[in-house]
Amino acid sequence: MFVSRSMTRKVISIDKNADILEAKEKMAEHRIRHLPVVTKGNCLCGIVTDRDIRSAMPSSVLEDPNRAKSQTRLKKIKVSEIMTKDPVTLSPQYTLQDALLLIQEKKVGAFPVVDEQGILKGILSTRDLMRAFINVLGIGEPGTLLCILVEEKIGQMKKIVDAVTEENISFGSILVARYWEEGKRAVFPYLLTLNVTNVKKKLEKLGFTLLDPMEWYLDQLPKND
Amino acid sequence: MKKTGFLYDERYLLHDTGIYHPEVPERVQAVYNGIKAAGLLPKLKLIQAVPADLQRIEAVHENRYVRRFQTACQSGDSMLDSADNQMSAETYETALLAVGGVLEAAKLVLRGEIDNAFCAVRPPGHHAESNRAMGFCYFNNVAVAARYFQHEGGINRVGIVDFDVHHGNGTQHIFDQDPTVFYYSIHQHPSFAFPGTGREFEKGSGPGYGFTLNSPVLPGRGDSEYQRLLKKDLLPAFEDFKPEVIIVSTGFDAHIEDDMSDIRLSTDAFTMMMKQIVDMADRYSGGRIISVLEGGYALERLPELASNHVSVLLDE
Repeated sequence: MFVSRSMTRKVISIDKNADILEAKEKMAEHRIRHLPVVTKGNCLCGIVTDRDIRSAMPSSVLEDPNRAKSQTRLKKIKVSEIMTKDPVTLSPQYTLQDALLLIQEKKVGAFPVVDEQGILKGILSTRDLMRAFINVLGIGEPGTLLCILVEEKIGQMKKIVDAVTEENISFGSILVARYWEEGKRAVFPYLLTLNVTNVKKKLEKLGFTLLDPMEWYLDQLPKND
Repeated sequence: MKKTGFLYDERYLLHDTGIYHPEVPERVQAVYNGIKAAGLLPKLKLIQAVPADLQRIEAVHENRYVRRFQTACQSGDSMLDSADNQMSAETYETALLAVGGVLEAAKLVLRGEIDNAFCAVRPPGHHAESNRAMGFCYFNNVAVAARYFQHEGGINRVGIVDFDVHHGNGTQHIFDQDPTVFYYSIHQHPSFAFPGTGREFEKGSGPGYGFTLNSPVLPGRGDSEYQRLLKKDLLPAFEDFKPEVIIVSTGFDAHIEDDMSDIRLSTDAFTMMMKQIVDMADRYSGGRIISVLEGGYALERLPELASNHVSVLLDE
């Protein structure tokens, strides 16, 4: 659950005195969009994104002679001039939940991870978070997703878990969708089996409603939001 | 009219999956009885199963996996790799007979003694990976047959059509990088069905890129969506690929009365689909088809579905 376990450790960074052409090439070479900018001793001082660089570049439709001239000029622009200073960072001890909430709040695509001395330790991108959550969903393993509509009251989940366990079926994950209709929730157990016929019948016998798959939604924002 | 083989062997009943398991011996009995009741048996070349050579199986499966399966079965384990794969003492032998029977059918096709064949085998095969049992499957019958055609029949291009309602992850992965075996599957969308693979963007890899094609179907869609996707995806793909033989993973579990899926295919839709496959075989493969049973669990519907299937192969 900790950022230190999910971040990319071999982080590609760039020195603050490098020029922006160098930064552009580095991003292209490593197919990344975020470059932490460091001073001596790998101390983080900023971050540049591919968008920062693009805005600093002249338009690609410019004539060739002009381009050559602007290339020389670009070589004089240092990354420290266009970078975002004091970017939002994570500590390795932050959790993935912290990172998710921050990504939503700050609207950025990647966070440099630094220790207490400000030394760059890694980078956590939306891609790293996706990987972690694919793992949480369990969808890397073969299985079948069900959708059960339950009343919002204590003990419902126990009944579902008991029914599945009695069938000797393992869980890949269980998701609960809030913001369903008033007083109801949708429970999505991901079951690691092909054989869901009996468990479906059993759940229906217990009084649960199995939703038509075309009616499923994991996420519906609350009305008036 | 074509010369059609029919593989059935009472020893396929011996693999016992225990209670509350849908993959039961009654499935192949229902298939056999349906074909018999329709009066088709006298028109068919009946094929008996023989156990497959391990060498054939190991063209697809890791030797370590084959031994692990054999040992687990002989030491009395009740399952292999997951609770879906329930075993009895006879499971390993039955699995050898399933592969071996399909290879007998393939041999007759190669010799020209039959044009095509339907193999009513169990256990099924298309979920079996090279190193792992999965989803009621142990040996990948269809994949072993594809390699047999290539090694024994001098055939270069094998086309596999998998219309079981579940994606044939095993078959796809085995031939993922192989441009000589085209794997096409139409199945319930993996976000709504086992095993969670077979998405549109899975197209093979390396030299095999472009030789895997998946048509996922959303729940509740029926005949017209299948027809649309087969015309859009399968027909042009096989027109380009021109398979020299077609192997079919035949699953009847997309039927409206089969509670293993939410796809609502009619009985006629299976006939239509099979006719399209026979047409393609006539055009590109000298009529050669091996159809191998995978899923299909609605015991009351299997007799009719199976006899219709064989009638299409006979091309009466």
